[in-house]
Amino acid sequence: MAVASGSNASAEAPSGGPASTGRTLGQEASSLLRRFLTLREGSIIIVTIVTTVYFMVNANGFATSANFKTLLPYFAPIAILGAGEVFVMINGEIDLSIGAVYLITPFFFYKLASNGVPLVPAVIVSLIGSGLIGFVNGFFIAVVGISSFVATFGMLFTLDGLTLVISHTAPVSTPGTSAIHVNTFAQVFGGGIYSELIWALAIVVILQLVLTFTRWGIYTVAVGGNRLGSAEAGVRVRLVLIRNFIMCATLAGFVGVLEAVRTVTATPDPSGSNEILFQGIAAAVIGGTLLRGGSGTVVGALIGALFLGVLHDGLIIKGVSADYLDLYLGLAIILVMSINVFVQRVRTGSGVG
Amino acid sequence: MLLPAEMVAGEEALASRGAPAPRAASGGARGEEVLRVEHIAKSFGATTALRDLSLTLRKGEVLGLLGDNGSGKSTLIKIICGFQKQDSGQMFLHGEPYEPKSVDDARAHGIDTVYQDLALVDELSVYHNMFLRRERVHAPIPFLSNAIMSREARKALDGIGINIPRLDVPVARLSGGQRQAIAVARTVYGEANILLLDEPLAAMGAKEGGMILELIERLKQEGNVSILMVLHNYVHVLATCDRVNLIQDGTIALDKPTAETSVEELTEIVVEEYRRAREAAIAADAAAHAAGPSASR
Repeated sequence: MAVASGSNASAEAPSGGPASTGRTLGQEASSLLRRFLTLREGSIIIVTIVTTVYFMVNANGFATSANFKTLLPYFAPIAILGAGEVFVMINGEIDLSIGAVYLITPFFFYKLASNGVPLVPAVIVSLIGSGLIGFVNGFFIAVVGISSFVATFGMLFTLDGLTLVISHTAPVSTPGTSAIHVNTFAQVFGGGIYSELIWALAIVVILQLVLTFTRWGIYTVAVGGNRLGSAEAGVRVRLVLIRNFIMCATLAGFVGVLEAVRTVTATPDPSGSNEILFQGIAAAVIGGTLLRGGSGTVVGALIGALFLGVLHDGLIIKGVSADYLDLYLGLAIILVMSINVFVQRVRTGSGVG
Repeated sequence: MLLPAEMVAGEEALASRGAPAPRAASGGARGEEVLRVEHIAKSFGATTALRDLSLTLRKGEVLGLLGDNGSGKSTLIKIICGFQKQDSGQMFLHGEPYEPKSVDDARAHGIDTVYQDLALVDELSVYHNMFLRRERVHAPIPFLSNAIMSREARKALDGIGINIPRLDVPVARLSGGQRQAIAVARTVYGEANILLLDEPLAAMGAKEGGMILELIERLKQEGNVSILMVLHNYVHVLATCDRVNLIQDGTIALDKPTAETSVEELTEIVVEEYRRAREAAIAADAAAHAAGPSASR
């Protein structure tokens, strides 16, 4: 959305550039700053930069390429999960089952590949399986009429349980990967150092374009902003909801496969996948997506994920005891969200200026 | 535009309301029947919104729909525009059976609506609201043509005469009158030739309301569209509409050209309704007392 409003503003009123010769450099800079702050992602970008600079100065070894590689897995998978969750949340719904889909999809992949299905088709079929889970979520929410919180909460436990059953609670080594040699398949699907980062950036860019510049995006905002009104205008609300749940679940399944390939194993550990779920939602929310729907950005989720990654990684490098890590993370999230709300108020001009 | 010989406009169509009318081809001359609603009934659980409602809309006319709150005016609009389905009864469009499957389907048949709640999305820009479900996109990649939509939205709003400085802002920031104007503009400047307007003046001040009435007057002069309009203000009805239908007890209680009625007559009918309702309530009360508390409703 932010991208759209930016480009439209420049189309409607060509303020910057040669037209504004009368303005001083200072005015120009301050108007640019204001423009930046009025971006939905503006505040979190600043907070992320400040946090990064803080760790660069105060944590030895933070600003190294080795650490950048350490940081990636904390950040890229969460960005992809957050990107899918953004669409569901703009719809005014929530998907709590993304962690569970993330957990079970590698086992779909394992079952298929160990039964002779070639690797890439096995990935594709596994992702279709994830998409079907998303369809079931969407069906219960949009057609049956269960609240998404309850429906996906139920799905979370169902899938966690199913994962334990089909895996016999034993970890498996991911097909097509080995701890010694990273082959082409593994390079592409998460095993390469930058594989997850490239996937994350590509997915975020594409989904932001979809959200800002396509009917799908407009309808997603419309259904989240005014469900009855968009139905009256002819938007097929159920279809919009169901396809966003399908997309969200498919992305979660994809992240599951990427992580299983990267770590060479698929572990049936529901507590780990629940943490992934919370981080995915946190990334979306920190990135400026509203829980009540109608507003949000995919790029924001990427930056939200980056912020979480930087914070996590920075605290570890600073040598914060593992016991304190969650405490600091939690406090930081509350602080960042407070700043976000404040900036939002300034932006919409409601109160506090 | 065909002019079917068997179609007789005017008084006869009015007289034959409710009876099976001769079929007509699409299009037609001014005064010819375009939409006919027959014996429509609709209930929501125990509440009967429409009992047996029949009405006719003719080409180029503005038909005013009056009725008390909860009399079923909006329900009728929502049935015609494909948002809800009637329990029983039929509709005919240009003489052909008309069963809209969805709002999109009704729109494809040339019927479009301004809803009482406006059906605007606060978070979307003015032009995205105006083109909701009719977005202009590029080819081959179907990205939205925001520039084209913005330009056409500006043209439509200028046509009404409403001033909205920026069209790329979310409609949440606009006044009630501006929002109403957007809802009216998107319907009027669509491709529809039957417009259903549910309280198009509800949120407007006198000046903005005047613009909408002027717009309706202009459409009437052009004679291409037929308008079914729900209004509350009898003065507006008499000033703008060609004919007035009044809903009572889920059916049409009065159908007259506006030239043959007056504010007094319309008021009298509605007051009479209140009087009857009160008498009925008193009678029911008395009956309940007579029969003892167990028989009370």
